[in-house]
Amino acid sequence: MARNCIVVNLDRCTGCFGCEVACKMENGVALGERWSKVFTVGPVGEYPDMTRYALPTMCQQCENAPCVSVCPTGASYRDANGVVLVDKEKCIGCKYCMMACPYGVRSWNVAEKCAEKCTLCGHLTSQDKLPACVKSCAAGARFYGDLDDPNSDVSKELAKYSEGDIHTLQDVGNAPATRYIMTSMIGQWQDRIAPADHPHTAAYPVAE
Amino acid sequence: MEIQWSLVLFTALSGAGAWLVACAGLDAFKGLAKKAVVPAVIAGIVLIVVGGIASATHLSHVDRIMAVLAHPAPGIFLEALLLGIDVVVAAAFLVLYKRNASEGVLKGLGIAAVVMAAVFSYACGSSYMMSSQLAWNTIALPLGYLGTALAAGTALWYLLCAVFKEEAAALSFAATEVLIGAVAALVTSLAYGFMAGVTGGDSAVLFWVGVVVCGGVVPLACGVFGMKKTDGALPLAVVAVAGAFIGSVAFRMLMWIASIALMSLFGVGI
Ligand code: SF4
Ligand code: SF4
Repeated sequence: MARNCIVVNLDRCTGCFGCEVACKMENGVALGERWSKVFTVGPVGEYPDMTRYALPTMCQQCENAPCVSVCPTGASYRDANGVVLVDKEKCIGCKYCMMACPYGVRSWNVAEKCAEKCTLCGHLTSQDKLPACVKSCAAGARFYGDLDDPNSDVSKELAKYSEGDIHTLQDVGNAPATRYIMTSMIGQWQDRIAPADHPHTAAYPVAE
Repeated sequence: MEIQWSLVLFTALSGAGAWLVACAGLDAFKGLAKKAVVPAVIAGIVLIVVGGIASATHLSHVDRIMAVLAHPAPGIFLEALLLGIDVVVAAAFLVLYKRNASEGVLKGLGIAAVVMAAVFSYACGSSYMMSSQLAWNTIALPLGYLGTALAAGTALWYLLCAVFKEEAAALSFAATEVLIGAVAALVTSLAYGFMAGVTGGDSAVLFWVGVVVCGGVVPLACGVFGMKKTDGALPLAVVAVAGAFIGSVAFRMLMWIASIALMSLFGVGI
């Protein structure tokens, strides 16, 4: 099965929030709701060995997607192209998927009273266009495609880097497909950061 | 996460109802209770059904609920299925009891009621075990659901035995069941409290006073007194029911309050 996803090259990302805005515009995501969000991770470490980077987040297209396995109606499902999607017509609003997603990247559509999330812009990719966030990325940091196809944009970009420079969000058995490229040029990849010391910096939430 | 009252009430009421039916079913082996069996089974069915309805109020599109039946999966489908089976077992027991069915049949259904109560109350908690929720992903959580429901169900049975003025032997045995339920609640909720790290901080009062003292120590004391002294069982049973229900609800509230998501990147509240 194809593993379509977004790959982000953090060496290139400037943290401009363009992807976040493009996603909202393209998908008509209401104010206060989001399918995509750029985090600022850090700063962490001791001067001069400090790390601070932008981290664009969205549905990570997990291979063992917990949101799909817990959904009681099949509203959260994987389509023929292997993409995890929500059939909003079937959603009963139990929010089980929102509890089960390890990253909290699902959104609650207040108007339609159902769960939703990044669709990888299937309405565009089905017409051989790029997802809005990928197309709009001014730094050329975002890529879309199938990890299993060596000729896809994502595979070609990943092939330029060694394994140690390729990261995923913390995997608790869900096997996220999205890859983040980050070399030592930017700093050290952080799995988790306690935000307490940096009250003005958005960081990963911390597990106590 | 915010406390999901619909779900708190669902598992607290339905779980207690299932164990109430189980206690009535268990009496088929002892034959001690004469008047409390029928009202207990009816009350149990009502509690299970009311709990089920409470859970549906949590949904934003209850009109699409039938889609659940078309999609068998662990979690919500399993809970709904077990709830349905439990009601069928209870109803069958009730009808056959009223028709004076053979002892063997009633004992068989009695065992089925006990097994269903255990499986159903455990399953309600196991639905919350997920790797995304750090304070929920322990087997102590569903065991706590089971233990606290057992305490509430046995206390209700004791209350009905007292209300219907059953004989001393029945009251004493019902008090023993309360004692067993209270010990189960105490052990499982203490295990959950320590494993999930909810014994201190903001949740300390709810845990120690609500879950441990009200839900465990109070019914335990009632059970111990009630076993020895069967006069004045009614006030004792009322206290046991109040304590066990407060404990059962507090345990479920605590689960929501103390939840820790692996990551909550969008910060969307549930
Ligand atoms: S990131 Fe969350 S919403 Fe996306 S597939 Fe994984 S579990 Fe589902
Ligand atoms: S909120 Fe909707 S999509 Fe999510 S698990 Fe429930 S029915 Fe499925």
